[in-house]
This record gives sequence, structure tokens and C-alpha cells, in this order.
Amino acid sequence: MNNRPMQALRRVAGIVPLPGRVPLALRSLTADRARLLRSVSGIAFAVLLMLFQFGAQKAFIDSSLEVVRALDADLVLMNPQKNRFGTKAPFPREQLVQAAAVDGVQSAHPLYAEWSRSMWKNPDTGLWFKVQVLAFDPDKPVLRIPEVEAARHALRTPDTVLVDSRGRRFLGFPGAGGGSELSLRRVRVIGTFPLGPDFLIDGTVIMSDRTFLNTFLPSGGVTAAGSRPSKVEFGLIKLAADADLETVRARLRAALPNTVNILTKGELEAIEQAYQSRMAPVGPVFNIGVVIGFLVGMLIAYQILYADLSDQLGQYATLKAMGYSNGFLVRTVVEQSLAYGVVGYVPAWILANALFWVVAWVTLLPLGISLHLTLLTLALTLLMCGVSGLIAVRRILRTDPAEVF
Amino acid sequence: MSSSAASAPWAVRVDNVNHHFGDGETRTQVLFDNTLHVEAGKLVIMTGPSGSGKSTLLTLIGALRTVQEGELTLLGRSLHGLGPKDLMMVRRGIGFIFQMHNLFDALSAYENVRMAMELVGTPPGEMRKRGTEILERLGLGQRMDYKPKALSGGQRQRVAVARALVNRPKLILADEPTAALDKDSSHIVMGLLRELADEGSTILMVTHDNRILDAADRIVSMVDGRISSDVDLRESLVICEFLHSIEMFRHLTGAEVTFVAERMRQRRCAAGQPIVRVGEEGKEFFLIRSGRVSVDLSDKGLPPVALGQGDFFGERALITGDHRAATVTAEEDCLLYVLDEAAFQAAIQKSPKFHDQLLQIYFQRQ
Repeated sequence: MNNRPMQALRRVAGIVPLPGRVPLALRSLTADRARLLRSVSGIAFAVLLMLFQFGAQKAFIDSSLEVVRALDADLVLMNPQKNRFGTKAPFPREQLVQAAAVDGVQSAHPLYAEWSRSMWKNPDTGLWFKVQVLAFDPDKPVLRIPEVEAARHALRTPDTVLVDSRGRRFLGFPGAGGGSELSLRRVRVIGTFPLGPDFLIDGTVIMSDRTFLNTFLPSGGVTAAGSRPSKVEFGLIKLAADADLETVRARLRAALPNTVNILTKGELEAIEQAYQSRMAPVGPVFNIGVVIGFLVGMLIAYQILYADLSDQLGQYATLKAMGYSNGFLVRTVVEQSLAYGVVGYVPAWILANALFWVVAWVTLLPLGISLHLTLLTLALTLLMCGVSGLIAVRRILRTDPAEVF
Repeated sequence: MSSSAASAPWAVRVDNVNHHFGDGETRTQVLFDNTLHVEAGKLVIMTGPSGSGKSTLLTLIGALRTVQEGELTLLGRSLHGLGPKDLMMVRRGIGFIFQMHNLFDALSAYENVRMAMELVGTPPGEMRKRGTEILERLGLGQRMDYKPKALSGGQRQRVAVARALVNRPKLILADEPTAALDKDSSHIVMGLLRELADEGSTILMVTHDNRILDAADRIVSMVDGRISSDVDLRESLVICEFLHSIEMFRHLTGAEVTFVAERMRQRRCAAGQPIVRVGEEGKEFFLIRSGRVSVDLSDKGLPPVALGQGDFFGERALITGDHRAATVTAEEDCLLYVLDEAAFQAAIQKSPKFHDQLLQIYFQRQ
């Protein structure tokens, strides 16, 4: 078998020394344990900074996507003025009725929501807090949350609600059988569901459309029949089994005025993500944090490598004098840099996981390190160390081998 | 005493090399018109005070610097005009022993030596064998897996020597290779270098270690950027012995004999070639290193006199100021050592009785 391509790959990758070669980079890395510990701590700190920024950013976005992901729909209708899920901008119910009549649409269910007037009273402390309220017709399910699905028929009873079991503790959400007040209206908790807070919402309450009507629209905003709100926040469209999504969307576009947006769930998620990462005040802070983490890491890695190389300047100059090429020296230093990256990454990853576990427990945010995040931060770490190595190696490339004589 | 044969197999040939440091107004010349030819298999010691230019000359010979002016040829390859990459390739064939041995602290003694073997593509199976062999030879068989920090200064220096010599290079450049070594270690290292020289490697060594001078074939001294003397040590010893056996030089001290020997120049003469002719003005004194010559005394009705190794001629005309009294012809290819008139007269002045002694000798030969 021809091993040359593999050998060439290893040489290019610079991570694994060729068989039969003195592993100079690896030996240099481990020669001085105290120095190794110092160096790895520095790099691990930078990696931890990046991991935490990325992890927090992901949690920030993921937490706001939980509710979108829970929607049971193929297409979502909403007011184009909405720049995110949690912005109040309803559209007329008639348009949802029109949508239901379009060929290929199996069902078109309304979802009502309230974010600004929905004040929850902690039954233990008596303090009032803003919560997210979602409401739907119990006969027309719209959420893919098993606990909600199981309790939806019980919600027909007026003034009954489900509360978020992962809501923030200060809300004092009671379990089934408990009670409190929502926007000055007495409600009874008949069950819980796990959704969790995000950076803007501390907890969610789910109720029937009738309870919603009684709580938030007691004197108006109802249909002619008076039993339903006249405006809906979202229209959740489910397609017939054999219907093509784009075809139905085109039909809906033709049937509805352009005051309604027709989105897939993926598009709605993208809008939410874009808002959180670009428009929300905290979003760009995370991006800056990642960049700072990367730059700090690069600076730390560069200083570590520069100090290492300065200590070994004579040795490297000797290698040059002996006839080793600049390419070999660059490869060796980059190998050492990448090895620093890998060695620094492992403890940082473990520490970040531990840290996230604690922070998630305190904040109830979905903090964690996914495989994608692991690979992304590892790649950034290797890039950070590799670039630092390339900058630092100039120190030995400038060395005059004649000076060692 | 300098060698001047034209067709010798030179391993190192330095011709009229000048070198400058700095640019513009700070440009300073550090080497001045240096010429040095070293045959393959010679061990040459370079001496001179600090700043005399010996290290600079060695770095030029070692392809560590670019030749600015003059011609420098290593093992038949001219270094003139070579770029950094070509110089790097040249360096791979040279064994360097640095005073600051600069071993990699992270690598064991064996791995440091192995770095040199990897450079020239030694097969992996060979490396352990050769590395072990040379480290054992240098008394480090039990220290092969030790890191430099666990070795003494002398042991580290020996590892550096092993690294330089393991490939048995054709050219070895050494800077104070025995400075950190005790007498026994120094003896081992010099023995190894001598062995390599005997196998055909050429060794140029900067040293101030008097203990190893006797291992040298030549001693080149530099002062102020110039080669001030270039002595073929073995040849010089032979010539001194020849000179000392001559009656007229017998009373000179060792230093005075050396003074005379250092001023003698080699000259080769082919068989049948006249060396001096009767009636010529006498300008040189001749000592026969090898071969035979015939002194024609036919005008005096005498048979020719044959002279061989260790014999001399030509002194009479220098002493008396007369013209040559006989023609001398090479009977076979000869190597002669020649002392010019000025140096001969200087040698005479070293001893007040010298002139009389020589006259007496001259008359004894009549």
C-alpha cells in the first residue's frame, strides 16, 4: 500500500510526527512540566473564554427558539411587522379562515399570545412579574409539548392554566391544584409543562382561547359571535398529507393579502436567530466576546510560544546551521503550537462543561456544549495557536546561524 | 613553511577572500585577502587572538555566510554566488561542533544525535546502531537516554561532538571542541577526529587548547583579519630535524630553527631539471625533502656528487657573495625546501659565530 499521500497529509497537518522521526515539537512541549502547566493554563483560559461566550450565545438564541420549535405547524402565518416571535403584532382572524380554505391546507389553527399586559402574581410573595402567555383553542392543538397535549382538554374549564415547570423560581409557579392571579384575574393551575425561560422571558403560562379572551379582551377585540378573539398572533398551518409545501405556500400567497407573512418554521427560527444575534442588545456582545476571546487567546499563545522559542533560540539556530530548512523549523513550531492548542483545549472543555452545568442550574438556560460547538471552538483554538505559532516562528527565522559559531 | 603544490586534492580552497560587516559608513572589513588551501584528510588548527577573524573565516567555509569577495571552494564546489537554500544544502555535508553546544534540552542524548542522522536521510534501522556506536565510543553508552540537563558540561560537549561526527562528514568545522573536556575525554575526542581525518575527512578547528596541538597537521594563525602564518606541523618537524642535523644550524635554539623552517618554501622539480647553474648569482639556499640531485663538479675535474633527502646546497654563494660554483640538476622528481637570501641572512644573524661556522663547513666540503 502506498503510504506517501498519508505521510504528505501528516506533514501538511503538522500534528503527527512522521514515523521514525524525533518528535521534536512534542518533546519541546513536555520538556518542562512547570512551563507546560503555565502555558496550558493560559491557553485553556482563552479557550474557556471562547467556549463560554459561544455557549452563552447559543443558550441565548436556543432559549428563544424553544417555543418556535414547539409549534406544531408546517407553515406559520404572522404579521410582517413582527421582527421576532415575542413582538406583539396580531393579524385579522379572517385571513386565517381564508387560509384554511386554500387547497392543500389541512388545518389552520390560531395561536394567541400576550407579552406586555400579562402580569403574574407570585402566590407566595405577592410580587408581580411579566410572563409570556400563549393561548389556543383546546380543540385545535398547536403545540408539540406532550404535557400540554395531555392537558389541553382540561383547559376548557374557564380560568385554568398550565405553567412552565422550568420557569424562573421567583415567579413562584405552583404545581397542579395551585392558584394565583394573572393580570388581576384569578386562575387555577391544572398542570405544568417544561419550556424554560430565555433572556427576555422568565416563564410561560398556557391557557385556552376563552380564558385568554376573558383575561385580556374582556371588553372588545372579539369576533362577531363574541366567542373568539378577532385577531390572532400566529396562524399555524398544517398541510394535507400529499400537499407540496411550496405549492401550497404559493396558493396562500395568492389568496392572502400581503399584510400576512407565510413562513416555514425554519424561516421563523432564522428571523428569531437574526434578531437575537444582531438586533437584541446582548447579541452583539456575545459576538464581541468571542472575538475578544480569540484575540486574547492568540496573544497568550503567541507570548507562550515566543518565550519558548526565545529560550531555545540557540538550539534552533544550531538546527539551521546543520542544514535544517526554514520549512522544517516552521513545521516544528506550528506542530508545537497546535499541540498546545489540543492540550489546552481538553481541560478548558471539561471546565466549561462544569461551569455550564452550574450556570444552567442557576439561570435555567439551556447551556451546554454541543458537538458542533466543540468542533467549532476546537477549530478556532487550533487556528488561534497556529497563527500565533506562525507569527512567533519569525523570531527563529530571523536568527543568523553564523551567530552560533 | 608553506605548501604550494598546484594539483593537490583540496578539500577547502580559499582564495583572496575579503569580508565586510555592516553597510554604508559602518561597513568594516574584517577579513583581508586570505588564501588557504587545505588538502583532504588534514586536521588544521586555527589560532589567533579574539577578533582576529578566524571564526568569520570558519563561518564562510561552513557556508553559514555568503562569500562577498574572493573565491571559496568546498570539496570541489564553489560557494561563490550561492543563495541561502544552496548554502543550506552545502551545510548538510558539514559536521559542526559548536562551543555553545546548543543541544535540545527536550531531547535525549541519542535523540540529539539522531537529529543529525535524520537530516541526511539515514535509514531508521541504521540510526540506532550508529548513534549507539558513536555515543559509546565517546564514553556515553550509559547516558544515551539522558537529557542534557542530567549530563555534565563535558558529557554535553561529547554529545555535541557525536552529533557532528555521526554522519562521518567529509568536512568538520569545530569551535573549541575540547574546551569543556577533561584530559581523557579530550584524548578520546581528538582520537576520533584523527581517525576521521585519516579516513579522508578534513577538519578545521578553532582552539586555544594547547593539549591538542600535537594532533594537528597544520596550524594556521590569524591576526587582524589576515592569515599571519600557516605551518604544516608535521612537515615543519621533519624540516626542523633536517636543519638541526646540519652542522651550521646545530647551535641554533629550537625557536631559531623553527624561525628558519617557517620561512622555507616548498618547490617541486622534475627529473632532469637544473636547479642552479654554475656562474649564476646565488639567491637561495636549498634543503632536499625528497628525491635526489646531482652536483656537477666536472670543471674542477671531480666526479659528480649525489645529494639526497636531508642534504642541502646553495649556501656557499650566499655566504661568500660569489657566483654559483657548480650546476645542480634533479636526478629524479624532487621536493625541495627553499630559503631566500634575506631569510638566510637573518638566520645567520641569530648566531654571532654562524658565519664562521658556515665558512668552516664550506671549506670542509671542498
